[in-house]
Amino acid sequence: MRRAALSFAAAVAAAWLAPAPARADVSDLAVKAAFLPKFARYVTWPASALAHNGQMVLCVIGDDPFGTMLNQSVTGQQVDGRGFVIRRLSSAAGASDCAIAFVDGPRTGEVLAALRHNPVLTVTDSRSSAQHGIIHFAIVGGRVRFYIDEAQAQAHGLVISSRLLALAIGVNQG
Amino acid sequence: MRTAVSAVALGPVLLWASVAHADEQPDLSNLSIEQLAQIKVTSVSKQPQPLSEAPAAVYVITAQDIDHSGATSLPEALRLAPNLNVQQVDASQYAIAARGFNGLQAGNKLLVLIDGRSIYTPLADNVVWQLHQPMLEDIQQIEVISGPGGTLYGPNAVNGVVNITTKSAQDTIGALVRGTAGPEERTAAARYGFSLGGSAAMRVYADWDDRDGLPTATANLIDDHFRSWQAGFRSDFGGESDKFTVQGDLFHATDQESRGDRSNARNILARWTHALGSSASFQLQSYYDWYSSDVTLVRQSLATIDNEAQLNLATGSNQIVAGAGVRTTNDLFINNLNAFELDPEKRRLWVYNVFAQDRLEVAPRLSLIGGVKLERSSFVGWQVLPNVRLSYQASGNDLVWAAVSKAVRTPSRIDRQLQFLPLLAPSTDFEAEQLTALEAGYRGQPARWLSLSVNLFYNFYNDLRTTEFLDGQTIPIELLNGRKGRTYGIEAWGKAQVTPWWQLSLGVTTLHKNFHLLDDRMDLQPRNSLGADPRWQVVGSSDMELTPRLSLTIDARDVAPLDLPPAVPGYADAGARLAYDFNDRVELFVAGRNLVHRTHAENGDPGAAQLSKRSIYAGTRLRF
Repeated sequence: MRRAALSFAAAVAAAWLAPAPARADVSDLAVKAAFLPKFARYVTWPASALAHNGQMVLCVIGDDPFGTMLNQSVTGQQVDGRGFVIRRLSSAAGASDCAIAFVDGPRTGEVLAALRHNPVLTVTDSRSSAQHGIIHFAIVGGRVRFYIDEAQAQAHGLVISSRLLALAIGVNQG
Repeated sequence: MRTAVSAVALGPVLLWASVAHADEQPDLSNLSIEQLAQIKVTSVSKQPQPLSEAPAAVYVITAQDIDHSGATSLPEALRLAPNLNVQQVDASQYAIAARGFNGLQAGNKLLVLIDGRSIYTPLADNVVWQLHQPMLEDIQQIEVISGPGGTLYGPNAVNGVVNITTKSAQDTIGALVRGTAGPEERTAAARYGFSLGGSAAMRVYADWDDRDGLPTATANLIDDHFRSWQAGFRSDFGGESDKFTVQGDLFHATDQESRGDRSNARNILARWTHALGSSASFQLQSYYDWYSSDVTLVRQSLATIDNEAQLNLATGSNQIVAGAGVRTTNDLFINNLNAFELDPEKRRLWVYNVFAQDRLEVAPRLSLIGGVKLERSSFVGWQVLPNVRLSYQASGNDLVWAAVSKAVRTPSRIDRQLQFLPLLAPSTDFEAEQLTALEAGYRGQPARWLSLSVNLFYNFYNDLRTTEFLDGQTIPIELLNGRKGRTYGIEAWGKAQVTPWWQLSLGVTTLHKNFHLLDDRMDLQPRNSLGADPRWQVVGSSDMELTPRLSLTIDARDVAPLDLPPAVPGYADAGARLAYDFNDRVELFVAGRNLVHRTHAENGDPGAAQLSKRSIYAGTRLRF
């Protein structure tokens, strides 16, 4: 075990000395976090929505896989002159202001059901959820893509632009 | 003393981790949605682990953990889970257990699934690890649950469940070739994945292993040289509301060639998932699995057909899972070596189950989970397997939970019908072994860079297997349920993302066993029933990307002596892997296992155990 301890010590020393390299590869979460605020440009909300002090509210409901990544991805982003605020919620309660809601965790189905008639773009991830929001992330061929449920979007009062629909792996038109 | 060394070595490192910087990711904010959709991502491995919905002691081995480890086989990869005790028995055989009862005969309390297909065999109630050789690069994750699998998994999930899932065919498009070679073992593997149009995709793969025999500490040198190949496919297709998976594998192995020993296996599985609106889904799965092995004049085979249906439903504050399944097995056991025989030689067995579980949000942050499974097998009547769990989401990422569950290990063919008159009588009175488990745990992220899990368990066992003289004094012997007892212990592990390029992990488990025979009872073979376990083990690893191209992984483990004879002393050993990735297409690596000692013993099985040996190899992975 002395040799194992030495190799650990060597590893620690190597880490101190090595210059901090930039990562060459990108995590799928970083790409998903980057997508979330950008979806707003290709979705039209009903005029009655989006009243929150002129800002878009981007909510994470349930588990938060992104952490600070999401805060970084909304920094400086604007849609029609509106900036973003991020709100992290444990359930659908308090979600009435959300323009976009990324829903994750064991209660995804329940949260989606509660938001059914709200003007909110719900987003889910195939990695952690069998339930589909309007947009449902999936990894295809090593790239982050998504399904779009246009019928569900209509029920929420949202209109999705053809540019976003064109990127979807599949579109459910009801 | 040896434990102290690992703890001392890691202590300062964990402290230092607290001053390290947060995640660094490239800036993607200026890219268009079309550009984002074209970025090649490192798949799922970097994701926070999608832990099982049920609050339980779960450790997840990710694809990246496996890629960076020096493992060249499934059992070696399972060493990454601190809540498993992995004992190498010979070049290909392993005994693997959670929370005790480890051994080739005793290891009957861990259920193992590969893509929903059980590889736990009801012939002897064990897992024959050497018959399963999935291509390691295709594994998406391995969920290791210590503790009863409760209502959601199949029979015999008494002390734990190992749930292996492979990647969807859509995530393995392209070709991958791997080869490794060293003085002790050689492996080769190739996979090709292709799109079938739309979101449909398929992959085919084949892998080949050649493992030299291991040395022995006793006179019992076994020719355990093992050569095997496996080939198979997986196809995923369907759209948003209907998803289909069809997959299958073929396996062949030869060992002790002089005697003509060989094993064959094949399986095929189909699964259909249908979304019923946005808050419900329905799943149907069927598989056929067959294996046979010929070892020293003993031939055994087992064919399994399994059908399962499951419904997931979310309504209001309820989340419901319900299902039913039927499994039938047809076995064969022909022994030309000695007079032990199964009577009858061939038999078809049936297992039926129905289950339901509800997760109810009783208050904000507080969930109550209640579930029950009813299960009936050909040997024992309906068993009732309830579990109740309470979980409290203390803050965003911190979960505190407690659970009470019941589990049983149902009699196998060997338990009930093995005989060798006048020495061993068939054990028609042998009933299921019973467990009532109390568990509590914490899982969370005290800081962005640190995840922690601490689990406590207290297990009450009843009706454990004993080998007894029929009339208390003389032969024949038979198997009975003459022992009860308790075990308790702690399982704790943590992962620290020290910097974006350096991850450290450390896990500790302890196990205390306290068993006693019922009045006037005996056990001629306690090791066959209780296993031989270490009272504690410590595992740690360091995974560093020294430069974007160069990675170094070091792992170490320290395991206490086994608690039942024959004596197997404690040991500490370590492995390492250094890899250079030239251009995302060509990766070269050198790796070694058991680097500290030339040989060491991990298992004391009197008839089978050989010594684990230092193994160093070089290899390459090519992707195109």
